Amino acid sequence: MFAHYLDLSWRSLKRTPLVSILMIAAIAVGIGITMTSLSVYHMMSMDPIPQKSDRLFHLQLNTMDDGQTWHTEDNLALQLTYRDAMFLHNADIPVRKTASLRTGFSVHMNSPDVKPFLEGARVIGRDFFAMFELDFVYGDVWTQAQEQSTVPVVVISEDVNQRLFGGQNSVGQQVYLNDIAYQVVGVLQRWDTHVKYYDLNNGAFNDVEEFFIPLSMIETQEINSWGNTNGWKFEDIKTYQDRLQSEQLWLQFWVELNSEEDYQAYSQFIESYLIDQAQTGRFSRETPQFSLRNVNQWLDYNNVVSEDNRILVGLSFMFLIVCLANILGLLLGKFLKRAPEVGVRRALGANKRQIFAQHLVEVSVLGFIGGLLGIGIAQLGLWGVRATYRYYSALATMDLSMLLAAPAIAIVACIVAGLYPAWLVCRTTPAIYLKTQ
Amino acid sequence: MLEIKPILNALRRSKAGALMLLIQIAITTAIVSNAAYIIYDRIQYLQLDTGYPEEEIFSFVATTFGQDINLSQQFELDEDMLRNIPGVKNATIISQVPLSGSGSASSFHLSADNQDVGGVRAAYTSGDHNIIDTLGVKLVAGRNFTQDDVVVPDNLEENSIVAITSQTFLDEMFPDGDGLGQTVYLGNTPFQIIGVVEKMMGPWLKDRRPENLIIMPFANAGIYQKIIVRTEPSQRAAIMRQIEDKMLTAYDKRVIIGLQGMDQAKQDYNSADILMLRMLIVLITVLVLITALGIFGLTVFNINKRTKQIGTRRALGARKSAIVKYFIIENGLICSAGLVVGSGAAVYLGRILLEEYSLPALDNSYIVMTAAFVMVVSLLSVLVPANRASNISPSVATRSI
Repeated sequence: MFAHYLDLSWRSLKRTPLVSILMIAAIAVGIGITMTSLSVYHMMSMDPIPQKSDRLFHLQLNTMDDGQTWHTEDNLALQLTYRDAMFLHNADIPVRKTASLRTGFSVHMNSPDVKPFLEGARVIGRDFFAMFELDFVYGDVWTQAQEQSTVPVVVISEDVNQRLFGGQNSVGQQVYLNDIAYQVVGVLQRWDTHVKYYDLNNGAFNDVEEFFIPLSMIETQEINSWGNTNGWKFEDIKTYQDRLQSEQLWLQFWVELNSEEDYQAYSQFIESYLIDQAQTGRFSRETPQFSLRNVNQWLDYNNVVSEDNRILVGLSFMFLIVCLANILGLLLGKFLKRAPEVGVRRALGANKRQIFAQHLVEVSVLGFIGGLLGIGIAQLGLWGVRATYRYYSALATMDLSMLLAAPAIAIVACIVAGLYPAWLVCRTTPAIYLKTQ
Repeated sequence: MLEIKPILNALRRSKAGALMLLIQIAITTAIVSNAAYIIYDRIQYLQLDTGYPEEEIFSFVATTFGQDINLSQQFELDEDMLRNIPGVKNATIISQVPLSGSGSASSFHLSADNQDVGGVRAAYTSGDHNIIDTLGVKLVAGRNFTQDDVVVPDNLEENSIVAITSQTFLDEMFPDGDGLGQTVYLGNTPFQIIGVVEKMMGPWLKDRRPENLIIMPFANAGIYQKIIVRTEPSQRAAIMRQIEDKMLTAYDKRVIIGLQGMDQAKQDYNSADILMLRMLIVLITVLVLITALGIFGLTVFNINKRTKQIGTRRALGARKSAIVKYFIIENGLICSAGLVVGSGAAVYLGRILLEEYSLPALDNSYIVMTAAFVMVVSLLSVLVPANRASNISPSVATRSI
């Protein structure tokens, strides 16, 4: 029966080509525009690490005097001081934790073959790779001993390995970062994350870093941040050591807490640390304040999904409604014009439900064709987004769920629009139409 | 003579189609007026005068990894080399490039102990004594920097430090208008204001204080050193192409990155707004088109349905113009109702956008203009099918009944 309805739909579409084209164009454009803004929104708001986003926590501490404010909703600074970050990094709990900092280097190979270039790098503890589930192509993370020592080691990305070593196993080779020789200990697989959730300070949708070096390099190589450094009081900082001891905030800190007990234990640990620090007179605070936010809470807190994008999604859904009203009007006309034909079918024994089903199949076919065309229009739109805004290039794509959603939304929308006309036409009384024929 | 009553009677018999048209027109009006207002708001912002001759200036970064040179000396040589390129007006090292989206800002105070709580927030940047000329900004009071004003690492303690500020900052810091010659403090470092620039914007156009900028004469070059160059506008592109080679020929243990015209940097900083602008323009264009097509389609259909009635009316003596008028009035009635509903919806939508998002309140004139525009579009799209209807021959009516 379904196949027969499909056949009938196809004939019906062909019979009124102008109206069919108008309806399909309306639904295609509606879906195209909606999917363009929805795809960007979807990629922005998507959980970047769904399997453990509720177990990774970003830590914020309030190490400012009472009365000092920050621009965040709860007055907490986004980053930590070097002292706090290193103390917590070297603490016994929890099992996995890491301080993290963005920096960068002039990279060269001490040979004229590779032109020196500038590249971002991340300074981290060895737990970072396990916490954020990064896999290695060659080699492995540096050892605990290497992390403590001052001998420079580096983990590089697959892309850099391709560029510098032609994709060969480069473990044991040397690469020069700011003219210092680093030994490669591991090559990472491509890190496909559309949002840089582990460091939202300098653009949530920028590229991930290509070099990873141990935290111990901060002191030995006097590494400067490529991200933000914030202070809340005037400090006379002359030397690099001054900076390390200062109250300036410039490192991020992540912990992995696998159970509610871990979370409680760690919260208590942080609280007692803060009370302890206040007692040493570093800052004057009545009550300790800190916050542990998991990945999704952290993305929310940082307003990763832009305001403009929400407005666009809203407007484009309203736009879709206009397209539907358009289709509904046209369908109404088209179906009612067919009333005599329906009258004959009813007289020949078709019941109301069958007529209704037949017409719904017809609008679904419209929706399906419109949805497919809509994907094409959305691709065009996303191409426009990428061309206008390079920063969104990783976001302005349709993943599988969006590709499937396009025809699904189109069909549902068309059925909604088709319900009333189909209901009207199935109420046709055969007698009237038979008489006038 | 407007035949409104029979039209209303006819409409009452096919409510749903008319209702759909009404909804379309209403939503179109609501969206288009709000979107047009957002577009206007963004265009205003994008066309702000920044105070700089943006198409004459470009900047780049030299990151030095070689450790066998004195950086400050090297950059002195580089500046001379750049200034000697034909077509270059001036060049200087600079700590932060205006309009680039990256910079430094702090609160400036009236006394060293920062007693005036809060102070005045301003962005600051520094370069050598050529910086005012290189930025191409207009000094309206006081004097420019001289070579003697420039603070280099060797004479840091000796010189008193001077500064040139934007008029906006001076007015906010010294509302009485006596700011020139006074001293402001960053931390406990004093800066004496020796000059005022009519208009210059800081690094962030979206800052709370986008026009507060202070320029200080520091010339200590660093490993990561930004440089700006001002050229004849027609030669900028050609000069930019030579920069990397010339800089690397002068000294090769460094990387040249971020070579960018000032107008390009500004566009990059604003690209999210430009994106929003383009998407909205596409949205409202397509929306108006779809609505017009909808009106067109529905009128065509109505005419087909009423072919016999039209034929009968013609046979009974109605003129062609009466037929056209009928459809235009019918459409005009639906459209007017849609516009009333749509205007209400537009105000409501504008209020939501105002409350939920950082958008300015919708100006009612936008609704009026949009309504007029939608009305014209709707009348135009009914005209073609209505004319076709008027050509229906009266004989159609007599063929079969």
